[in-house]
Amino acid sequence: MEWSWSFVWEILPTLLEGVKVTIIATLLGSALALVVGLFVALARRSDNPFLSRGTGFLAEFIRGTPLLVQLYFLFYILPDLGLTLSPLVAGTIGLGLHYGTYTAEVYRAGIENVSRGQWEAAKACNLTTPQAWRHIILPQAIPPMIPALANYFIAMFKETPLLSAITVLELMNQARSVANFNYRYLEPMTLVGVFFLVISIISVIGLRALERRFGRLG
Amino acid sequence: MTFDRRTDFVTFRTALAAVVATGGILLGASAPAMAQEALEELREQGFARIAIANEPPYTAVNPDGTVAGAGPDLARAVFKKLGVEDVVASVSEYGAMIPGLQAGRFDAVTAGLFMKPQRCEAVAYSQPDLCDAEALAVPKGNPLNFQSYEDIAAHPTAKVGAPGGGTEERLALEAGVPRDRVIVVPDGQSGIKMLQDGRIDAYSLPVLSIGDLLKKANDPNLEMVAPVKGAPIYCAGAAFSKDNTELRDAYDKVLAEMKESGEFAEIIEPYGFSAEAAKQVTREELCTASN
Repeated sequence: MEWSWSFVWEILPTLLEGVKVTIIATLLGSALALVVGLFVALARRSDNPFLSRGTGFLAEFIRGTPLLVQLYFLFYILPDLGLTLSPLVAGTIGLGLHYGTYTAEVYRAGIENVSRGQWEAAKACNLTTPQAWRHIILPQAIPPMIPALANYFIAMFKETPLLSAITVLELMNQARSVANFNYRYLEPMTLVGVFFLVISIISVIGLRALERRFGRLG
Repeated sequence: MTFDRRTDFVTFRTALAAVVATGGILLGASAPAMAQEALEELREQGFARIAIANEPPYTAVNPDGTVAGAGPDLARAVFKKLGVEDVVASVSEYGAMIPGLQAGRFDAVTAGLFMKPQRCEAVAYSQPDLCDAEALAVPKGNPLNFQSYEDIAAHPTAKVGAPGGGTEERLALEAGVPRDRVIVVPDGQSGIKMLQDGRIDAYSLPVLSIGDLLKKANDPNLEMVAPVKGAPIYCAGAAFSKDNTELRDAYDKVLAEMKESGEFAEIIEPYGFSAEAAKQVTREELCTASN
């Protein structure tokens, strides 16, 4: 099978549509994972044992089951309970919840990394708890989190092809569709790989820059 | 030991040349022989690899894992007469079947892949075997009044489900339904579920497949529109790789005998297919049809 440039040009606009959806899903999924992770991390630190243990169990449950299975639940089983989410929304929630349980661990490690002495010092300086969080703890906790969070978001980006299983027209689904119609896999799948690689590399460069910037503040 | 870069390089180059030359001879010698011996090889290994789709009554995987359906049953019978004891089936997406055939992953596709000129260019078809018209599964009373794919295209937001790479997906797109409103449905059960959940407004498959699914779903809120207006009756055939026409010709010979003897009808009619419809058309007619 020979590489055909004319076929590449022909399918490029369709694949770019898919790239758009893939990026949207990753950005929304990452935003949700950031929020979910923060809530899970805070709930696990709570003094209420029901809240902390319950959240811990739930997070363990989500981490211990495959994302694909969770997507099927969100897409095919929630409608039986009266909640029909659009494919992209179901997919984004799946990604956000799944990765939220991982980002929670990053938050936890970041917060616990700030030594107890800092809390005590803040108290000694008569800072309230919110003030301590804002001025003392988070500025020290966040910078070390950035590389780990970034790695999860890039991992999430590379898992977006799973959304094709619930009919989201992301990059992989678009590529398969054009492959199906032309009986050619070589160019569409190569392009999918190239798109993922290029976007990953750009993201890594961007995130490293972010890391340097926030690293300096900390 | 002395290290001589020059000698090493020459040695490497000689070795490379030898490998390339040998490879060339092997490939050159085996390519034409392979096609002739394809049937012999299948006889020796005792089975042929076929691609199926799990879309009853065309192809079906039973709960115990055995393979049934009109396509595989017919293929099994034909291959048996050719001296190949059994068939081993792989479930595949429609769109992946022809590339899989070309890549040598299957010996034949017997999934009810309808003959259309574009497909005829990509594969070597047997004579027609399974014929059917297209249908739509819709909510009871057909609220959006769909009679054709054009009706779906004309609706501003309606979505139609179809198997990926199947004839129905292409028909819907050709009728002008935008890409994001043709939902690729992984399997029949998902299609019915998505219709029940209101994710799609119609689900398109051949008449017999929709009939089978609706019977199994047993949902009084769904009904069938058949045949879809403007979509002709299609016939499928067993598909072989273009460079394996000898195998196809051998298959055709047995198929013709079975059509004559009535065995063909005995196999496919219990599944609801008309043997007469398949006998009345030829591959040549279907492959040059304008639609």
